[in-house]
Amino acid sequence: MDNVTRAKINLFAVLRNIEDLCTMDPVSADLIKGVDLGVEFNVPEVGSAVLTFKDGKCKFTRGKGKSALKLYFTSPEHFNNLIAPPTDPKTGKPKMVIPIFYNVFKVSFLLNTFTKLADRLSHYLQPKPEEKEELLKDPAYFETNTILTAYTAFYAMSEIANSDFTGKAIARRMPDGVIACAVGGTDLAVNITIKNHHFVTNKGKVKDPRATMIFGDLQFAHDLLNGKSSSFTGMGTGQFQISGYVEMLEQMAKLLTQVNYYLG
Amino acid sequence: MKLQYEPKQVYDVSKGQALFKKALSLVPAGIYGHLGPSEGCMIPVSAYPLFMSRAQGTYIWDLNGNRYIDYMCAYGPNFLGYNDPDVDAAAIEQLKKGNCTTLIAESMVEMAEEMVNTINMADWAFFGKNGGDMTAFAVMIARAYTNRKKIVLVSGYYHGVAPWMQKLGYSGVTEEDLANNLYIDWNAPDQFEKLIKKYPGQIAGLIATPYYHPTFVDNQLPPEGYWQKMRKLCDDNGIVLIFDDVRAGFRIDEKGSDYHYGIEADLSCFCKAIANGYNMSAICGKEKLKNATADIAYTGSYWLSAVPLAAGVATLRKAKAIHAVEENAKKGIKLTEGLKEVARDNGFDLRVTGEPAMFYLRLGNDFPSTILHQEWVTECVKRGVFFTSHHNHFINYALSDEDMQYTWEVADEAYKIVRANHPDANYIK
Repeated sequence: MDNVTRAKINLFAVLRNIEDLCTMDPVSADLIKGVDLGVEFNVPEVGSAVLTFKDGKCKFTRGKGKSALKLYFTSPEHFNNLIAPPTDPKTGKPKMVIPIFYNVFKVSFLLNTFTKLADRLSHYLQPKPEEKEELLKDPAYFETNTILTAYTAFYAMSEIANSDFTGKAIARRMPDGVIACAVGGTDLAVNITIKNHHFVTNKGKVKDPRATMIFGDLQFAHDLLNGKSSSFTGMGTGQFQISGYVEMLEQMAKLLTQVNYYLG
Repeated sequence: MKLQYEPKQVYDVSKGQALFKKALSLVPAGIYGHLGPSEGCMIPVSAYPLFMSRAQGTYIWDLNGNRYIDYMCAYGPNFLGYNDPDVDAAAIEQLKKGNCTTLIAESMVEMAEEMVNTINMADWAFFGKNGGDMTAFAVMIARAYTNRKKIVLVSGYYHGVAPWMQKLGYSGVTEEDLANNLYIDWNAPDQFEKLIKKYPGQIAGLIATPYYHPTFVDNQLPPEGYWQKMRKLCDDNGIVLIFDDVRAGFRIDEKGSDYHYGIEADLSCFCKAIANGYNMSAICGKEKLKNATADIAYTGSYWLSAVPLAAGVATLRKAKAIHAVEENAKKGIKLTEGLKEVARDNGFDLRVTGEPAMFYLRLGNDFPSTILHQEWVTECVKRGVFFTSHHNHFINYALSDEDMQYTWEVADEAYKIVRANHPDANYIK
């Protein structure tokens, strides 16, 4: 695992979940009420992204964009520490990570609202082990946890394919085409476009994909993404349905294994 | 093709499906590997029988008693027909005398003699159990003989499942496992030449299948002069040429696929067809490699068991007597010509590639997704014709004209069903 790929995953797969979080989580939706602000994240060797909060919604955009608050990180590790703060050995608590920021008048958003949003994201993506099982009994929490985990995995997969040493080796074996992924009984759908071994993940359904991968239901998607089942077992039981150019899906499954190494 | 037939019965495969559920609780993935539903690309799994109750000739029967014409032949081992009476008689006779024993049975020497007398390049033979045993050994021999480390592989290769034979990113495989692998494309002698220049005196061997037969893509035969160029590059640079004839052995030429394509390999690996389903594999080599081979520690508990070796002797003797290799190729041509005609009659563009006894099928109509072809394969399986959508098929000697006729009828019915399900697809007129 390398820090640049990890930072790309954190920026383009983990952080982008705030867009969906603000729709799916009432607490987060409440936090951004009345906020009208663009926040730009800039990470060396990784790239930039903007979270735009407006009219009670959040939009994630890859690259630079209109933003009143600009955050700069000194290195990929610096950004990674913001997403997953290291523990302070003196206090036993997570260390505070402060980026270099532009526009001191907006920094309160960073220290207050954004920190709370990040906590809500952690609540869904990385619940405390002792609370996780109980939380998952709540259907609303289960759904949000699974959907955000799925988005994280599929977006992270493209970052790994484009950046990680092993991921790029797998990507070199991937032919051009679009893979469609969906979860039965839900609107959850993502598609991955591969061209010249470069991967781009997007949300939504597509027409005429080269290969399809359908999780039978949210429960199986949850089990597979959390290592509680395997794709081979799911194919055997019919909970994991594939069709089309299966070679693409075989290689994609290997990339999803790499996702586990980064996010597991 | 004029076909008149009653609609075929769609099989009930409930017993196999029920047993598979039990298997899932006891065995990782239920049925693992190429015979399982995942690697076997059984789409959807619910249509597939998964388990057999018996086999005979070219047929397998599932747990519900449904009969299938098996064009996968256990992915190659069925060469003369399941339960061939002559092969089984030789095996049973040896079983009565002894099988896995401290002293080795005569059948080992008989099988070695049979291989050396049959395979054109062979000066000696050595036995194991699976194809991967032999391809791994071949690489060790090449390294021992040359005192070099690097091995050149042709992309799209499959030489077994040892870590070095797999690829970066595969579960359980490390970068270090692949550290001495170098890769070239199929039909690219120029790339081989570049590697030789880049790694002077470091390449121990080139391992390759006789022709390009990976999964999911059209198979390609070697162009004129290809193997001669590769042979010369090996000769000029002290590189051991290893033919992985595990899949194609005795499906192209009984004297070896290297002979068929006009060269002599230094090492040739065999498995699949050589004992008609009894578990054994073999490697044959040139005299110059015999001493290096003898000095390598390489063995297994059951590698010299007498029964499979006796079956191997009987298989090769019978195959030569009935000209099974040539006959199987003729059957492959007849079958696939008929399939192409049936496909064309229904508006489908069926592409057939590879050697006739190892034909690979795909549809030109639904490239690049292959979804129509997958559906056609499944409709065929549901009516008793076992094809796959991703892998080359195999012909065995027991396949009859009546079986082909039945196959064409099922193919026709299956194409009509697929067409009805996809009225707007890109059909040929």
